[in-house]
Order: sequence, then structure tokens, then C-alpha cells
Amino acid sequence: MTAAVPAPPKTGRAPSVFWRRFRRSTPGKVGAAIVAAFALLAIFAQWLAPYDARSEPNNFIQRLKPPSVAALWNEEVAAAYTDPVTGRTNIWAAPFGTDDRGRNVARRVLHGAQLSLKVGIASTLLALVVGTLLGVLSGYFGGWLDTVTGYLSDVMLAFPSILLAIGFASIFSSDTPPLPIAALDRLFALNSPQLVTAMLAVSLVQVPVYMRLARAVVLSVREREFVQAAGALGASQGRMVFRHVLPNSLSPLIVQGALSIATATIEVAALGFLGIGAQPPLPEWGTMISDSRQYYIDAPWTMIFPGLAIFLTVLGFNLLGDGLRDVLDPRSTQ
Amino acid sequence: MGSYVIRRLLRTLLVMIGISVVVFAFVRSIPGDPATALLGERATPAAAAALREQLGLNKPWFINFGNLGNPLDAQYPRYVAGLLQGDLGSGLKSNIPVRDELASRFPATAELSIAALLFALLIGLPAGIIAALRRNSAWDNLATTVSLVGVSMPVFWLGLLLSYFFAVRLGWLPPSARLGNETVLEPVTGFYVLDGLLRGQPAAAWDAVRHLILPAIALGSIPLAIIARITRSSLLDVLGQDYVRTARAKGLSARSVTLKHALRNAMLPVVTVIGLQAGALLGGAVLTETIFSWPGLGSWVYDAISLRDYPVIQGGVIFAALVVSVVNLLVDLSYATLDPRIQYR
Repeated sequence: MTAAVPAPPKTGRAPSVFWRRFRRSTPGKVGAAIVAAFALLAIFAQWLAPYDARSEPNNFIQRLKPPSVAALWNEEVAAAYTDPVTGRTNIWAAPFGTDDRGRNVARRVLHGAQLSLKVGIASTLLALVVGTLLGVLSGYFGGWLDTVTGYLSDVMLAFPSILLAIGFASIFSSDTPPLPIAALDRLFALNSPQLVTAMLAVSLVQVPVYMRLARAVVLSVREREFVQAAGALGASQGRMVFRHVLPNSLSPLIVQGALSIATATIEVAALGFLGIGAQPPLPEWGTMISDSRQYYIDAPWTMIFPGLAIFLTVLGFNLLGDGLRDVLDPRSTQ
Repeated sequence: MGSYVIRRLLRTLLVMIGISVVVFAFVRSIPGDPATALLGERATPAAAAALREQLGLNKPWFINFGNLGNPLDAQYPRYVAGLLQGDLGSGLKSNIPVRDELASRFPATAELSIAALLFALLIGLPAGIIAALRRNSAWDNLATTVSLVGVSMPVFWLGLLLSYFFAVRLGWLPPSARLGNETVLEPVTGFYVLDGLLRGQPAAAWDAVRHLILPAIALGSIPLAIIARITRSSLLDVLGQDYVRTARAKGLSARSVTLKHALRNAMLPVVTVIGLQAGALLGGAVLTETIFSWPGLGSWVYDAISLRDYPVIQGGVIFAALVVSVVNLLVDLSYATLDPRIQYR
């Protein structure tokens, strides 16, 4: 949190101002670093440690082995990772240990990053676009549209969101997915219609949040002089909304966007944990933790490391969101 | 005030109707047929059809457009008619009336949620207050970090970690259920801690408390973080106001300024956030109850979804939504008491 600075005038902001302020925001920098690290790992996962979850054979000899790094101080672990022929110990063989089928947890966590980032970002973008559009239109035009969308968002917000997501995901996850879900599955190369359904479910739950936020912002921007001036100059309704009101309402939406990627990542993992999202053997973090419930008492590393990955990703996006708020909306920061 | 309350109640009623319609349609859209789920895969089509008929599932969902007379002879109108008489149907699998099971499940979830909220308030409020009063100190940084960690922690992972370290490894606390096997307690209210005290069994009450601790910490972590954050920023906001400076200038003690002038006025956003947590707690209960085998509302509805147990899902979700709406209503109405400047029209 930076010290409160007097709000600078918002108009005429040059791009460099953004960076100058962002560099002063510690949470923003730390968050950006964490997110960038995960993004790089996700992009280069296949190159760092090639892996195909679906064709990996079971390797029961290597079943539930502790993290190989522990070989440095634990002789039992060292013995498990020592090659009987050469007598050499490989402490990097499975740095996070192995699971009940002898699979390398570190490699699976690494490849899970790709799934989590894709799904978290895509579900948030979808909710942001749909919710903002509905919110802007209902805020700008008011009337029956506002009444109807307001009522719908009231209804949706009264549900515990995870139940709404579970319900939605149970309806649409089947072996023969409907065409739009199959198409999205292809688009994001996820190869898992169930994961796409979970993504849409999490997106749906976020829509009312953006709807309310966009509506509130538009209501205040609509009354500003420059919008009224545009109207007096004869701008059309569409031009007023999309050229004048919307661009000046974006800051809080961007901040909310970064924070919601964090929420979305947790919720997709939670659905995976409940057995509704990605299905085994996909290395989705929540699904991995759900698998580990049968044996984590003997092999806690199968539960700790995927959870740590979720935690760090979410922490990164939360910090990034805080940083963006420091930059874009200095008045709201204390 | 009166007309505001009436309008607010009407709005809640409308939302509840919307929710019942949505839940009704949602539940029936889940692929799979309750009759076959009950009878098993090898049931004859005739037997499944007979069971559907018996359960009324062969009727249209909302309105009977057939030419066989009564348009209200459909599933939804019949359900609402039952609802108005306090009849929520019976679980398809268990055949226990949903109302009875709700009466035993809800106190379990409520006890857990209240314990979680107490934990969150007990730590979150002081942390937020100290962070605001000692701004930019080590305490402030600690409180900010803790709240950041709290919001970033997946509830189910935290639950598993707690149960691994404190129940499995250290053996300090029980890993699951509401009471130990050897504890016998006849429920009065369904809140076991309270029941233990009412029945004069302090040992049973203590056992219930021990079972509550881990799930309450897991469920309370996110509310804790949010309460600490809001308390800090709201108190900082108030401390910057003119009347606080005036109070200081009058020579009042720092303690009096903080407690009487600042804190009271800083509580409004905090109360709002606590109200909003009602829904989050019920949602988080689904995960927490699954991990700690807690026999509450969340795990019940979750199990019912895979069984296609329509009456249980409907009853559970509608009831949960009712609780969330009522809590939000109470929060809205409490504003006027907390801040006399707010007037309802």
C-alpha cells in the first residue's frame, strides 16, 4: 500500500504515467513477477519437461516416493532415488515426490499451470465482456432493461456461488458435449469438455459482479460534462456509449478483472476438487488434490504442492490487482 | 421507514420466487433420471415409468398446457402449494421428509458458520484496527500480509493442511464429524455446543468445541481476511475526517477519540461486509463440510446433486438462498441504527 497521494487529474493520462506509478507500487511489482513466472512456466512447460497426461503409463515401482530433494538430509529417501547400477543419487528426479501411480508431481504441477492460467483468464474475460456490456447498457438506458437485469443479478447473487456453479456444471457436463462447449474446448486446446463447463460455470457466477460494477460506474460517468457535451453536439446513442462512456469507465473494471482471475482460479480448482471440473488424469491442480485425498496422510506432498501452486497463482493475481488499483484508482487506496 | 421495509420485503419475496423457478428448472435439466437412479440401471422401463408417475415426475414442469383440464396440474405449482403448507417433499433416496432433515442439517451448518465468523471477527477486527492505528508499522505490514494470504488460500487446501498437521500428525484435534464416537448427546437446538451446556454435559460441549475448531478456522479464513482489510481502510478513512481532528483538538484522550468517535463510525462498511459473508460462508460450507465430514447443509445438497434427488436439492438451495436474503435484509435495516443520518423513505 502506498501512502495516500492527492488524486492527480485523470484526463490526458500519458502511457508513461501508468508505468511510473506502477513501478512505485510494491504489491503490483511482486504480483506481476509471480504472474509472469507462472505464465513463463506454463508457456514453456512442454519444453522444460515434456509430458502427456493421457498416455503416461503407471509406474507402481515409483509409487508414493517422497520429494527427492529430501535425499540431501534423509538417507532413506536417498536410497530410494539411488541408481543401483551406478550408485549415484539424483536429487532432481522428482523434486515434489510421486503420487499413487508413480507419476512425477512436479511435472504434473508444472503442466497444471497451463490449464489453470488458461481457464482462469478465459472465464474472467468472458464474464467481464458479457457483464460489462449488460451493465453499461442497463446503466445508460435504464428503464425496463435495467429492471430486468437488476432483478436477474439479485437472483443470482442470492445463491451461494459455488452451488450455482455446481448446478450449471452438472447440467452441461456429459460425454457428448453441446456444440458451443466442444467449440470452446477446441479453441483453448483444453481437451476436456468438463473443464470448459467448469470454466463457463465460474464465468456465469461472476457476470452479476461486473454488471453491477459497470452499471454503477456508467451512472456516474453519464452525468459528466464531456458526455453531455457529446450529446449536445449530436452524437448518436451508440457513439456516446462506446466512444465516451465506456472508455472512461474501464479503470475499476480492469482492477476487478485482475482480482477476479484470482477468484476464478480458486473456484475452478474447487470444482475440480469436488470432482465436477477437469477429470483425471488431467493435471489440474484441484483434481490432483482431490485424487490425493485417498493417500495424502501417507504422502502429504501429493496434496501440499498442487495447493501451493494454486495459492501462489492466486496470490500473484491478488497482488497485481492491488497494484493496478494503486495506479488506476489512487483515491480508493488508503 | 415502514414503506421502505415493505418494499424491501416485497423485493426479497420476488427474488425468492425467481430462485425457486431457477432451481426448479436447473435441477430438472441435469441429465439423468431420478427414477433410474433410484431403481438402478437394470430396472425395466415400465417400473421406471411407474415410479415417475408415483413421484409426479411425468407431469409438465411449470404449466400444464395439455387439454386435460387444470393448467396448474404441473410439478412447480404442486411444489409451491406444498411449500405454502410447510411440506417440502421427501428425499427420494432416504424417504425422510426434507423439512425434518433440514431441521437437523441447518443447525450443523449454522453452528459451523457462526464459529467461523466468530473466529474471523476475533482476529480480523483487532488486526484491522491495529493496522489502521499503527499505520505503516510492522504490525500494519503483518496484518496486511495475513489478510492477503487469507484471501489467496483455497479453502479446501487449507482444510486438508489443518487436518493433516493438527489432527493426523499432532493428534491435537479430531479430523472429522461433530462429536466423538463415545459422546452421547440428545439434541435440543441442534447446536451441539449449546446442547451440551443445556443438558448439563460440559464434557460433551467441550467435545463439540474441539470438533468445531479446525473446520471453523478453514471456513473463517477468507472472512477474516476481508474483515481485517475493510476495518483497516474504513478506520483510516474515518481517522482522516475533520470531526476526529476536532475531537483531538478538544484535548480528548487518544483512546476516547478512537473508541467513541472513530471506531463507531467506521463500523458501517464492516457490518455490510459481514452481511455479505453470509452467502460466502454457506458456499464455503460445501467444501469445508466435505473435507471434515460435517453433516450439514452443504455436503447434503452436494451429495443430492449426484443422486438427482430433486426434493433435497430444491429444499436445500431455496432454504440457503432464503437465509442469505434474510441476512442481507437485516443488514440493510441495521444501517439506520448504526448511522442515524441514514433515513429510509
